[in-house]
Amino acid sequence: MMNEQRREFIKKTALGVFAGFGVASGLVPAFSLEKTVLPAWDEKPVPGKIRWGMLIDMRKCKEDCQQCAAVCHHVHNVPDFRNKKDEVKWMWKNPYQNVFPTASQQFVSKEIKDRSCLALCNHCAESPCTKACPTEATFKRWDGIVAMDYHRCIGCRFCMAACPYGSRSFNWQDPRMAIHDPVTTYPTREQGVVEKCNFCSDRLVKGQRPACTEACPEQALTFGDLNDPASDIRQLLETNATMQRKPELGTKPSVFYII
Amino acid sequence: MEVMMTRSKLLWMIAGSALLLLILFSVFRKGEAETVPAPAPRAVAVDSTKCIAPKEFMRANHMRVLYEWRNSSVREGNRVHVASNGSRFEKSLNTCLGCHSNNRMFCFNCHSYANVKPKCWNCHLSPMETP
Repeated sequence: MMNEQRREFIKKTALGVFAGFGVASGLVPAFSLEKTVLPAWDEKPVPGKIRWGMLIDMRKCKEDCQQCAAVCHHVHNVPDFRNKKDEVKWMWKNPYQNVFPTASQQFVSKEIKDRSCLALCNHCAESPCTKACPTEATFKRWDGIVAMDYHRCIGCRFCMAACPYGSRSFNWQDPRMAIHDPVTTYPTREQGVVEKCNFCSDRLVKGQRPACTEACPEQALTFGDLNDPASDIRQLLETNATMQRKPELGTKPSVFYII
Repeated sequence: MEVMMTRSKLLWMIAGSALLLLILFSVFRKGEAETVPAPAPRAVAVDSTKCIAPKEFMRANHMRVLYEWRNSSVREGNRVHVASNGSRFEKSLNTCLGCHSNNRMFCFNCHSYANVKPKCWNCHLSPMETP
């Protein structure tokens, strides 16, 4: 298995080197990295003005569909070690009682009990992970996103211990060996760093919606500004009964659920 | 007879070690006396009006620029760099590579000459890896 992956990686790398000769001789146009554009926010943003959030409508979410997670992991070069022990995940599905372990489990309807729930980083307003990080590698952004600066991560995994939602994964091995279909538009991580969902900050800066919300065939995911009373997400929060994961911890998650 | 054998052996040994010393000496002299010429960039010159700063400044300070860019764009969201001539750039490694990757060895030549091993390409795609 490992050899096969290595082989694949070496093949792809070798292709790149050959393409290099192509460029040198003028055959292949230079560079296929993403074109840089001036970002959607031209000026330095005001901290706290925006708070990005997501609403997951579990009534629409199909039991056997994992499209959102598949697209998320693809566009962000999330490694798949095909091994539960080394698993790296940004977005995943877990049984209801694991996602909401502190919600009432008594006499819950069978339909809800058997349902698997979508989970991702909650981008908490009071994020325990950023408080645990000794190097400020993970930090609270101006727009409510809990971001990672992988350059600064020393791999101590305090954030993983601090996160009550299991939203963080550690790269025990070199992730490049486990990216089976790499994209050139987003960097990879390296061995020894923690990674997690970035709320598609890479796409937001280009004025796009998060990849998962676009990938969902049922439009079960709504993304928007929680600080804007006119936003879609606030309208849905206004008109529906919603839940957060483990609200009693006071982390104030920005991800909401309609069960 | 036996003495003669030893003497010729000894002669051979002296000759051999002299040769070895000569070789070693010449090798070390070479490294000491001649400075290895810096590798000249092979790619076509890019319009310098598109550069974010003069070449001499960037040669000495590109790592500081990248550090500055990373911190201000990732942490403060200040993603636009305004150069001294008024042109605007996105603060991104891809902005640099957008031009400089037309020589795929642009980073590597100099880094190997200076014997520095930055970790950029552990995560970012290097110009060598892109098709």
